[in-house]
Amino acid sequence: MALEVTNLVGGYSQIPVLKNISFNVKDGELVGLIGLNGAGKSTTINHIIGLLTPFSGTIKINGMTINDDVKSYKQQIAYIPESPIVYKELTLKEHLEMTMMAYNLNKEESWKRANRLLKMFRLENKLDWFPDNFSKGMRQKVMITCAFLTDANLFIIDEPFLGLDPLAVNDLLSLIAERKEKGASILMSTHVLDTAQRYCDRFVLVHDGVVRTEATLADLRKQFPSAGNSLNDIYLDLAKQDKSNEETRAGEK
Amino acid sequence: MSKVFSKRLSSHLTEMIRYLRLVFNDYFVLALLFLIGGLGYYYSIGLRKLSIGIWWAPIVTAIVMIVTLQLGRLATLLEDPDYVFLLPKESEMVQYFRSSFRYSCILGLSVQVLIWFILIPFVQRTSHLDTSEIFFMLITMIVLKLAWLELDLARKYRLKYEIFANRLIFRFIIPAIIVILGVYLNYLVAMIFSVIYFIIIKLLIGNLSGLVVNWRLAISDENSRMHSVYSFFNLFTDVPSLQGTVKRRKYLDVILQRTKLIPENTYLYLYSHGILRDNEMSGLFVRLTVLGVLFLIFIKGLVMPVFLAALFIYLIGFQLLPFYFHFSDNVFIHIYPITGKFQMKNFQRIILWFLTITGILFAITIIFVNYNNPATIAAIIIVETAEIWLFTFVYLPRRISKGIMNR
Repeated sequence: MALEVTNLVGGYSQIPVLKNISFNVKDGELVGLIGLNGAGKSTTINHIIGLLTPFSGTIKINGMTINDDVKSYKQQIAYIPESPIVYKELTLKEHLEMTMMAYNLNKEESWKRANRLLKMFRLENKLDWFPDNFSKGMRQKVMITCAFLTDANLFIIDEPFLGLDPLAVNDLLSLIAERKEKGASILMSTHVLDTAQRYCDRFVLVHDGVVRTEATLADLRKQFPSAGNSLNDIYLDLAKQDKSNEETRAGEK
Repeated sequence: MSKVFSKRLSSHLTEMIRYLRLVFNDYFVLALLFLIGGLGYYYSIGLRKLSIGIWWAPIVTAIVMIVTLQLGRLATLLEDPDYVFLLPKESEMVQYFRSSFRYSCILGLSVQVLIWFILIPFVQRTSHLDTSEIFFMLITMIVLKLAWLELDLARKYRLKYEIFANRLIFRFIIPAIIVILGVYLNYLVAMIFSVIYFIIIKLLIGNLSGLVVNWRLAISDENSRMHSVYSFFNLFTDVPSLQGTVKRRKYLDVILQRTKLIPENTYLYLYSHGILRDNEMSGLFVRLTVLGVLFLIFIKGLVMPVFLAALFIYLIGFQLLPFYFHFSDNVFIHIYPITGKFQMKNFQRIILWFLTITGILFAITIIFVNYNNPATIAAIIIVETAEIWLFTFVYLPRRISKGIMNR
């Protein structure tokens, strides 16, 4: 099991945003983390990458928690944040060097890999530029390049499609497929449901800090027979149900 | 619209007072009192040595007046999002700018009066001026400042005559001509010319209300003004809104590329690139080092040069300390599979390098100036070595662990 989240309760301050989150990502699997704004997707991700400490519950990557060995826990993760984060003092080339240095990667091999990625994203002539001055899409490409430079087992990708040009979206999806074949797992949060529907093996639907359901598309169709065929329809139906449930509950009070 | 300005002004003043309170803490006020007292004393002694007709006196007066004129820009208090949010109110922006003009006048004109007051004894010692001329001098300074601010306001619009946005001509050249007239001829003439100049500007610029606001320039003017205000405060305290600009400085790559790319050096890599390219940090280092060297060139003796060198090294080190936390907000630092224990070692190495460079420059200067004084030479080498070692390996870790607790 690449990633296993069990009974995770957590958040930023005293008040838990995540009330009870449990799901898993198997080896070579692409799991979509789906939910409305504020549902707890990014908070879940922040817990997995070790930025936040769980109030209770455990997160295991290949059977290891962060407290077992911080270094080897983190060595397994590559992260692509929702809004690109770059060092304003470093050039593109230096960003790549930073990644190679921090993950202790073999220089020669990594540069081969890097050159391929840079060419793919048409960044190869911008090595000496500051990514801080790039457009959002281009900075996102820098993030993708850095993440796919590593040998991570688990890719955590937070809403990767916004701001990327169609060509880059396509390239990213093929990069993901490539790594999947090699046995890496991917957890991807997104709002672009029709893309998610086509590429994800399974979905974790988060609502209001709890996992509403965790299933493949076929299972989801069975669970919500009246909703329609696409992930989009199913999701809208589910969100509507939750809303009316909340309203009746509020009415009862 | 003038209400928008007064609202902003009150929150701006609250912020300024908060910073001023931090700057003028008890020790600093005490030091400042001594400094002012000392300077006043030297000024009064210096004045006694002067006499009428010294050739450089009018030049000094003119330079002081022109430099003073540049103090106090138009505080529009514009913010980046205004381009979007105030755009529909563009036709009413004149009232907003007028309110800001009135506020800026208070500050700008007070400075003129203050400097004029300080200048009076100097001018009286070095030239024949009667009381009326002294007052004409004040009026000249005030009218020129008003014209300066009017032009700073006009710059915020797309003007019919774009030449008025030119700062070199209208902030330096024309005022300089008028001031020189006053200094060498007499202040009545200068005053008359400055009034005429003011009237011509008002007439030629005309009514602003029908014009288009040059938002980009207006906002960047205000940002650069606030940047200088914050940079001043930043000398005394940590200003969060201050974001340094970054320069590529390719010529430093030779040094930067010496870092070996191993995981233990991750922070070394970040800190070295960061400090050298961040204008705030590298600028501070270069400024203080150059200033220190300049001081040391002119000071001979045993205690004073060694004390000054030690003081400047401490100041530089102290100002560089907050850079330890510079990258803490970057999420990737926390994601990399690196252990934090090298962060302190890497930072110490960087600080050691920077302080050693300054130390060597200071030592060379002192040895050069005091070549016939072996005691000074021995003292500076011993004191600097001890100071840099203590600062880097004893003071720095303590200070930073205190900083970690406060974060």
